[in-house]
Amino acid sequence: MDATEAAAVLARARQGDSDAFRALVERHSRSVFRLAYRMTGNEQDAEDVVQESFLRAFKQLGRFESRANFGTWLYRIVANCSVDLMRSKQARHDQVRGDSLDDVVEMPAVDAPGPERMAQSAEIQQRVQAALQALSPLERAAFTLRHYEGRSIDEISAALGLGTSAAKHSVFRAVKKLRIALAPLRSQES
Amino acid sequence: MKHYTEDDLTLYYYGEGRRRADIERHLDACGSCASLYREIAGTLAMIAAPEVPERGDQYGLEVWQRIRHTLPEQDASSWRTLWTALSRGDRLGFAAAAALLLLAAFVGGRIWQRQATPQGAPQIAADTGTSAGAASVTNDMRQRILLTSVADHLDRSERVLTDIMNAPDRGDISTEQRWAEDLLDASRLYRQDAVDAGEQSVADVLDDLERSLLEIVHSPSTVGAADLEQIRRRIDAATLLFKVRVMSDELRKRDQAPGAASPRTSIRKTS
Repeated sequence: MDATEAAAVLARARQGDSDAFRALVERHSRSVFRLAYRMTGNEQDAEDVVQESFLRAFKQLGRFESRANFGTWLYRIVANCSVDLMRSKQARHDQVRGDSLDDVVEMPAVDAPGPERMAQSAEIQQRVQAALQALSPLERAAFTLRHYEGRSIDEISAALGLGTSAAKHSVFRAVKKLRIALAPLRSQES
Repeated sequence: MKHYTEDDLTLYYYGEGRRRADIERHLDACGSCASLYREIAGTLAMIAAPEVPERGDQYGLEVWQRIRHTLPEQDASSWRTLWTALSRGDRLGFAAAAALLLLAAFVGGRIWQRQATPQGAPQIAADTGTSAGAASVTNDMRQRILLTSVADHLDRSERVLTDIMNAPDRGDISTEQRWAEDLLDASRLYRQDAVDAGEQSVADVLDDLERSLLEIVHSPSTVGAADLEQIRRRIDAATLLFKVRVMSDELRKRDQAPGAASPRTSIRKTS
């Protein structure tokens, strides 16, 4: 689909043409899933985010500025849907048990011969995942956008609808928590 | 000596923040900041991007199938009041009406031209080269309108057929039926006009399409597996989806080609 065709499809979708919206869904689904998976770290959650993001996008298409980039606009919706889903999961989880960060910090250290092998080790990655799960939804989203997606603080701020300072501090808090949670692994390394 | 905070060094790690050159010089000179930076960098280096499970080429279609029946009402925008005032079904009807209006303009133009040029009278267009050129351009434009309209119609029809081919074995196909019904009237008019224009291959595909649309419209809205299978078999037997796609592509190519197109017969009727 070239740029002119894409613009025409988008214009039709904005007028409520569900066929045109279908073309957008078919075009963007895989990239939406990729981001959703990175944000949530879970395949089923990512599928839920994909679905919810497109439904939300369809509902809000009338408000989409045609001069903006649809991919960027959709990216923001996915990021926010991911945060919403993580928040609702966390709320349910918190009803059952308290903060899980301590569990992560207190995990026993394992033998880990070098940083490269460590990064590739499935066990280490499990611990990293557990540490990421212990972040607040906003911290995790901001960290994912910065660390995995390579987004600048300004872009994170725009994607999550935060002020620059709030976006920055979400990343800082995430990094602090991860440092604490993964310190036992680092001590093995040194 | 002023030391840098963990936050400064985190931004530095990610290539952001101001005073990057200052921080770099400081890290060369300050052991404690260098140690803190190594710790931050070491931790973040452990966090590799997770491997994202693969999704196939059909994933977009799967997502669409999951959401298409639950699309919400769109939020209104100021310039789209008319659209948002109409229900989804009404919009389809409106689209069909617009297609019919376009077709009526096309047919009306042809009739008007015939009436304006009485038989036996010398055509003005034949008298001057300029007028002849203008008439040719008008005909060419009219032909292009027909090609584009039919191609759009075929695209819409293809989507209905694809939905039917991918529908769950038992379920409600009333949405597809409403859609097919809207397309049916337009299809008949396009077919007649294709015949008049000498576009026999287009008329043949539209004829096949009409039969399948009729069958979809007249099926029960809650269709059983056997009924659905029968509709699908007929679509398959007529290689209808293939023909609709090929014809749509061909019409678009002809529309884009210089000097529009002359009738072609590349697809033969098979049923």
